[in-house]
Amino acid sequence: MKRKLVSLAALATASALVLAGCSSDADGGSDDTASNSGKTITLWLAGGDTPDALRDYLKTEFAEQTGATLNIQQQDWGDLVTKLTTSLPDANNTPDVTELGNTQSSTFSNVGAFLDISDMYDDLGGDKLLQSFVDAGKVGDKNYALPYYFGSRAVFTRADVWAAAGVEVPTTLDEFNAGVAAINAANPLNIPDFSGFYLGGQDWRNGISWIFANDGELATVKDGTWTSTLASENTLTGLAQLQELYKSASNAPNDAKDSNQYIYLNDSDEIKDAEGAVTASTSLSAATIMAPTWAHGSIGTLGTDADGKATRTWDDSKNALFALPGNDGKPAPVFAGGSNIGISAKSKNPELAKSLLEIIFSEDYQTMLGQSGLGPANSDYVDSLGDDQFAAALIESASNSKLTPAAPGWATVEGSMVMEEFFSKIEGASDLKALAEEYDKKLTPMLNGE
Amino acid sequence: MTTENPVLEQAAAPRPPRPRKKGRSTPYLLIVPACGILILALGYPLVWQFITSMQKFGLSQQFGQPPEFVWFANYVTLFTDPYMWTVVARSLAFCLVTAAVTMAIGTLLALLMNAVHAGVRITLQISLLLAWAMPVVAAMTVWNWLIDWRRGVLNTVLTGMGLDFQNHNWLANPLSFFFIAMVIVVWMSVPFVAFSIYAGLTQVSTEVLEAAQLDGAGLSQRLRFIIVPIIRPVLAIILLLQVIWDLRVFTQIRLLQDAGSIASETNLLGTYIYQLGVGSSDFAMASAVSIFVLVLTVALSWFYVRSMLKEDDS
Repeated sequence: MKRKLVSLAALATASALVLAGCSSDADGGSDDTASNSGKTITLWLAGGDTPDALRDYLKTEFAEQTGATLNIQQQDWGDLVTKLTTSLPDANNTPDVTELGNTQSSTFSNVGAFLDISDMYDDLGGDKLLQSFVDAGKVGDKNYALPYYFGSRAVFTRADVWAAAGVEVPTTLDEFNAGVAAINAANPLNIPDFSGFYLGGQDWRNGISWIFANDGELATVKDGTWTSTLASENTLTGLAQLQELYKSASNAPNDAKDSNQYIYLNDSDEIKDAEGAVTASTSLSAATIMAPTWAHGSIGTLGTDADGKATRTWDDSKNALFALPGNDGKPAPVFAGGSNIGISAKSKNPELAKSLLEIIFSEDYQTMLGQSGLGPANSDYVDSLGDDQFAAALIESASNSKLTPAAPGWATVEGSMVMEEFFSKIEGASDLKALAEEYDKKLTPMLNGE
Repeated sequence: MTTENPVLEQAAAPRPPRPRKKGRSTPYLLIVPACGILILALGYPLVWQFITSMQKFGLSQQFGQPPEFVWFANYVTLFTDPYMWTVVARSLAFCLVTAAVTMAIGTLLALLMNAVHAGVRITLQISLLLAWAMPVVAAMTVWNWLIDWRRGVLNTVLTGMGLDFQNHNWLANPLSFFFIAMVIVVWMSVPFVAFSIYAGLTQVSTEVLEAAQLDGAGLSQRLRFIIVPIIRPVLAIILLLQVIWDLRVFTQIRLLQDAGSIASETNLLGTYIYQLGVGSSDFAMASAVSIFVLVLTVALSWFYVRSMLKEDDS
């Protein structure tokens, strides 16, 4: 009898647990705050770019406007594509709204991972939104992912080294190319392995600025089919300039990628001789680098803050930045960094997710993004970025910036590191056209998602 | 020297047959849940991979498009792709060389531990344990700092000794890359090998070794003709495990590739599968390569498993 009671109780508990798991929320309207009070939606943010103050604002604003709860989860950039691939198709585990890189946005939009939000497009900003990012999230004429924030790349220099080498700030791209080669040859501080312009052999995200600046394209689309155009005439002009830079201005390793270039611009370790005079700096080994504008926080004089953490303070006597100039009077088209944002197609609360998007694209939040140094998606609020030299460089370089091709297979191209490989072969190529044609053959099927 | 052991004698005598008990199926019923869980947990991914390797499965299939069956087309593409064979050759070479070096160093360390004073032995064992217990990613972070081309300790030390290794990039050249990878993998694997062989060495009776020494056998002769044959089973299983693990090595190669090198020139099977599956979302090809690696692993270990089974029977 006792055994029977125990097993009956166990069965009842088990059933209760199982049946509780079977229940699901009904999708309710977003206007009725009372009916939304038990619901939670999830927002995935990539990396630490969005500051805590903005996240708190979203949570409080969302709770006020809809009565539901917003749960923000941060994902690592490195794992993001994997997590999106496994979570977005699964209705029980999908984030309702997610941020993702603008270069990943076209791939996911093309496979139907996101909800069609073309009906919201005009309310969220319409044509005032950064168009290159809008195109990255567009399939046909339907919008799936919209811009979240943009960044841009600028040239950072050691003003003291440039002055010592006697080179002025360039006003055209040709002047820049010649200038950094001259500094490399002069090496005024006699630093070993010094680079006039530190450009990593596999650093295509900075290198493609030269392709774009010569009106070249990475790929073109016709009737929905993409073709890689590395061997087109304008692109080849850009590649030739790059080859010249690699040979005469940069001593960066052939396998260096786009990361942490700013360490080569700082002098934290100084070698002093017997009299205390500085004979060399083991950190400083480049006069010029190209990096996203937020890198200014890692350039300058070493110090410690109140918590004992290391900080870098920008030093105007040594550091300078400017937007890479083009040859036509406008800034050179650099690679636009930034993120898009979209609603998962399998989200169980699409109405609440749409409310969240309305808050994100509101004037208040866009202004807050700008004040934090992240370029807001809506061009109306771009002056919230401020007017210091960093904001000015960001706005100037972003005004003409370009994205990678919005092809369905672009995430695959990035994932297989084909661009890195191609760039690493530029310096040593005796026939750039043949090399470009070889990689065109590899890239074209990948771009179309085959 | 051997004495009559009454307990052994009793056990050697044949026992009377046990009467069949009722409910003989109980043991099997008790095993079923455990087996079931194992089959589900291990078998389901295997079966899924096998099926997916015969389909065309990309990102769109992940998002709901039905996959189409292409049967062995993926395998044909795979086996006619010269890059695939380059990766396989590299992986086999890497795993055999690394396993051999690991076994050699591990055996020598085990012999050392056997021969030294207890205090020294404990110190050695603690250092080996620390190396083995260190999480792989943490260890890789430190190794990346050590071999950093501009500020790494390795370059500084070598330059200080007079050789010109200033700003030498260890990862750019694939051979140099694999040399570093081999050093790291050996460093991480040697403790396990050393401890296992040390345990095996306790089976070698010191009387036999002393007798051989009295008969005039030198050090290497004692090693070759007495010690190795006695610990052969241990050596065989450790070698087998090392070969399998080194064939599938992923984390160390991946983290080194992140720090430098041209990815396609330094891909081994582990990182190649990752690049196909997670990097390019070509899950079908990644599954096909995985099944191939499974077959390769079974082929490599078949020989050893068979010889072990034969020894058991004999």
